[in-house]
Amino acid sequence: MKRYIILFLAIALTNFSCEVAQKKTKGIKVDSEAVELMEKIDAAGAYDVPDIELRTDEKYASMAKDVEPYRHVKPYKKYFLRQIEYTGSGRGIPEPENLDTVKIGFIGPIEPTVSVATGGSASHEIKMGVKMLQGCKLAIEHANAKGGYLKRNIPFELAIHNDNGLWGASGNEIIDMVYKDNCWAILGTIDGANSHIAIRVALKAEITMMNSGNTDPTFVETNIPWVFRCMSDDRQQTYLLADYMYKKLGLKRVGVIRSSSRYGRFGVREILDISRRFGSPVLIEMAYDMGLDDFSLHLDRLKRENLDAVVHWGNADDGARILNQMREMGMNQPFFACDRGLSDEFVKIAGKNAEGVVCAYPWNPTSESKRLKEFRKAFKERFNEEAETFAAHAYDGMNMLIWATQTAGLNKAKIRDIMAFRTKPWEGVTGDIILSAVMDDIGEVYLAKREKGKWNYYSRQELNIPDELPSETSEK
Amino acid sequence: MKRNIIVITFLLIVLVAQGAFAADKKMAKLPFVYTDWKHYTVKDGLPNDHIFAVKAYGDKIWIGTEGGLACLDKKTGKIQTWTEADGLPWRVVSSIDINPKTGEIWLGLFGGGLARFSGGRFDHFHQMNSGLVNDVVYGVAIENDNVWVATTAGASRYNTITGEWSIYTEKNSPMEEIWNYSVTVSKEKVYLGVWGSGVLEFDIATEKWKDYLDPDGEMEIDLYRDDGIVHVITTGVSYVEDVLWITTYFGMSRYDGRHWRGLYADETGLPSDFGNAVKGRSKNEAWFGTDWGVGVCADFATDTWVTYTMLPETHKGQVIVSRNNKILEVFDTPKGIPHNNVLWVEFDDKDVWIGTSKGLVLAKGTGYYEGLKLREVHEPKKGEIKTYAPGK
Repeated sequence: MKRYIILFLAIALTNFSCEVAQKKTKGIKVDSEAVELMEKIDAAGAYDVPDIELRTDEKYASMAKDVEPYRHVKPYKKYFLRQIEYTGSGRGIPEPENLDTVKIGFIGPIEPTVSVATGGSASHEIKMGVKMLQGCKLAIEHANAKGGYLKRNIPFELAIHNDNGLWGASGNEIIDMVYKDNCWAILGTIDGANSHIAIRVALKAEITMMNSGNTDPTFVETNIPWVFRCMSDDRQQTYLLADYMYKKLGLKRVGVIRSSSRYGRFGVREILDISRRFGSPVLIEMAYDMGLDDFSLHLDRLKRENLDAVVHWGNADDGARILNQMREMGMNQPFFACDRGLSDEFVKIAGKNAEGVVCAYPWNPTSESKRLKEFRKAFKERFNEEAETFAAHAYDGMNMLIWATQTAGLNKAKIRDIMAFRTKPWEGVTGDIILSAVMDDIGEVYLAKREKGKWNYYSRQELNIPDELPSETSEK
Repeated sequence: MKRNIIVITFLLIVLVAQGAFAADKKMAKLPFVYTDWKHYTVKDGLPNDHIFAVKAYGDKIWIGTEGGLACLDKKTGKIQTWTEADGLPWRVVSSIDINPKTGEIWLGLFGGGLARFSGGRFDHFHQMNSGLVNDVVYGVAIENDNVWVATTAGASRYNTITGEWSIYTEKNSPMEEIWNYSVTVSKEKVYLGVWGSGVLEFDIATEKWKDYLDPDGEMEIDLYRDDGIVHVITTGVSYVEDVLWITTYFGMSRYDGRHWRGLYADETGLPSDFGNAVKGRSKNEAWFGTDWGVGVCADFATDTWVTYTMLPETHKGQVIVSRNNKILEVFDTPKGIPHNNVLWVEFDDKDVWIGTSKGLVLAKGTGYYEGLKLREVHEPKKGEIKTYAPGK
């Protein structure tokens, strides 16, 4: 009898707590953590900040001791270890009435610019931008199929803007999204410089920017409380790549060839720094203009250095042409590349030379996760194409924004807050997205090896990388 | 006679009592503290409470908000406003400067370019009709006949006499990044605070550039405090008496042309390291607007600070006077800054105007003095006041 009473009480209690959660969120399914967080966020009002503990990291970006800058000296200050707060008055702004849709902004390179008409070339990132947009569209359509913005039963709407990359145009687009479209949050973009411009505007205009396609490490190194990234950056990916090259393979003589772009320039910063910190400074770094057919000038210089390996940071097509020309020149060194190297286009151009190539990668697209399988299926049905990395990350990023909007309501500051204060990893199609104190994804990254005509993905654990450098290469 | 004795005795008692009381009073060399505050919000006629810029000029206070331009007439107390309906080209006014030769008001518009307000008419300069490099404007400053504009994609200079525009980006200046945030001028130099590129100095006579970057070159650390600017994400610059005061989102800096000094919240009276704006009053005094209130370096020589915050529960002000990071005075005032997220500071002789996320405030400086003065220490009863410093 006593057992039944306890059981009854437990069921009653569960029902009661569900009811509390439902009351707080007007019928939207949210977990108890989100309910508790929202109570504190709502209580802050226009003049205070939520009474919620700020995220604190022991190390920035989970950085290992042997890759810390100036690691033999204690720096006067270390940044990015404590979550930055939003202290403005935005939480006090009431929800507007009479809305037909809930707009979420999208900015990405999706169309050629006017410069094409005057002889310029289309952005090399359009292919990625289009995929990103498809991922976002699918997320919005899925949300609308489930009832849209549930508190008002109105649909979500994507406010789509092209990132044409000219003269800081991304800043103007963010202004339009905030002040003309009245968006509640924004996702984008890919180019590092344009992303930086966008987040500066977002900071002043007070709107959440989710990034799902820019791997520039400096993007989050700005202390802006409105910035999120749901994709592991070049810093995270390079930590794994460098450890594999130097600790596992014991390489010593490494050369770098990169695109003459912000992506290439900032992408290789970590490999340059880590190589030096590991006692094997990069012997040569060559930058090329994107879209070249002949890289002999650069490769001649690399060849003279008698390298153990070559690292490429740039787009897939350039990387494949570089690889082919290397092999033609008898340069048979291992070829390592950034995540952009891993694509069908790379394999198509590189052909059999692709075998053995190793790329850093922000996730494992061969994961057996149910979420990923469902996403792949839905994407294929919707666009009659395979989902790739930009689509998958955008789908995750957009879903995070939708979840935050559903949970927090139509208040930009609260949308930011609920994402910033959520402690649980986001269970995305790209894997678990774990945010650091600077709200950057520090989830697991992988190395992709081209083996027997397919890409195989290896985690740090699977690669069995030693903790230390081989003794003769380690820095004294 | 008896009457005289009584009077003398009374006076003696008063004098002795005063002496005894004076002996109880603690005196110290302390800075001036602003305690008289007047708030302005939409209720008073402002077009919006989100205050991005303030410019004091004569009897007028020009106010740039997220929802329009306003002008407060100090003589009458009346506020006049302009929105897009009144010809203002774009509603978000992010910076203001006034040409002292002509009285023309130059407005930086956040996403709308640049506007000149003169004779009741707005002239609009933007990317498509002028040499303005980008329409997202963060800062504007008058240098002689030139208007300097800090935009999100470079800086522009407009010569108001010749009509000539000059554009400065990574192509013709040492901008590692082109994301300009702030501009200030001195007699001989123009200084740009550039997000990602520290501070750039432009010599007006020679048109040569010089850059000031964080010497350690790393984003995640400051290796040594006083080796240069504390971080390259620079948000504000103010030049006065040969001293450059700088804000970043990672701490503040002072540069006297020879020595750098890094200023951090955990070792000064700064309420936070997140600096939104700075205004130098002298080589010895600067006001830093942060996301957690105002930190005033009141006397640099002695490292004496005054911190102004708003207590969220009561909306009262709190003042903390400190030296070498030791608190000397803490007391509450009936009013203070209207919100802790401080976005702008402007001096108006002895008064100070402060723009915040939730209104504008005038700090009345009656009796203001520079530096330090021997005065009574304001000592609260033990346990009476709790210090409010959440941004530390």
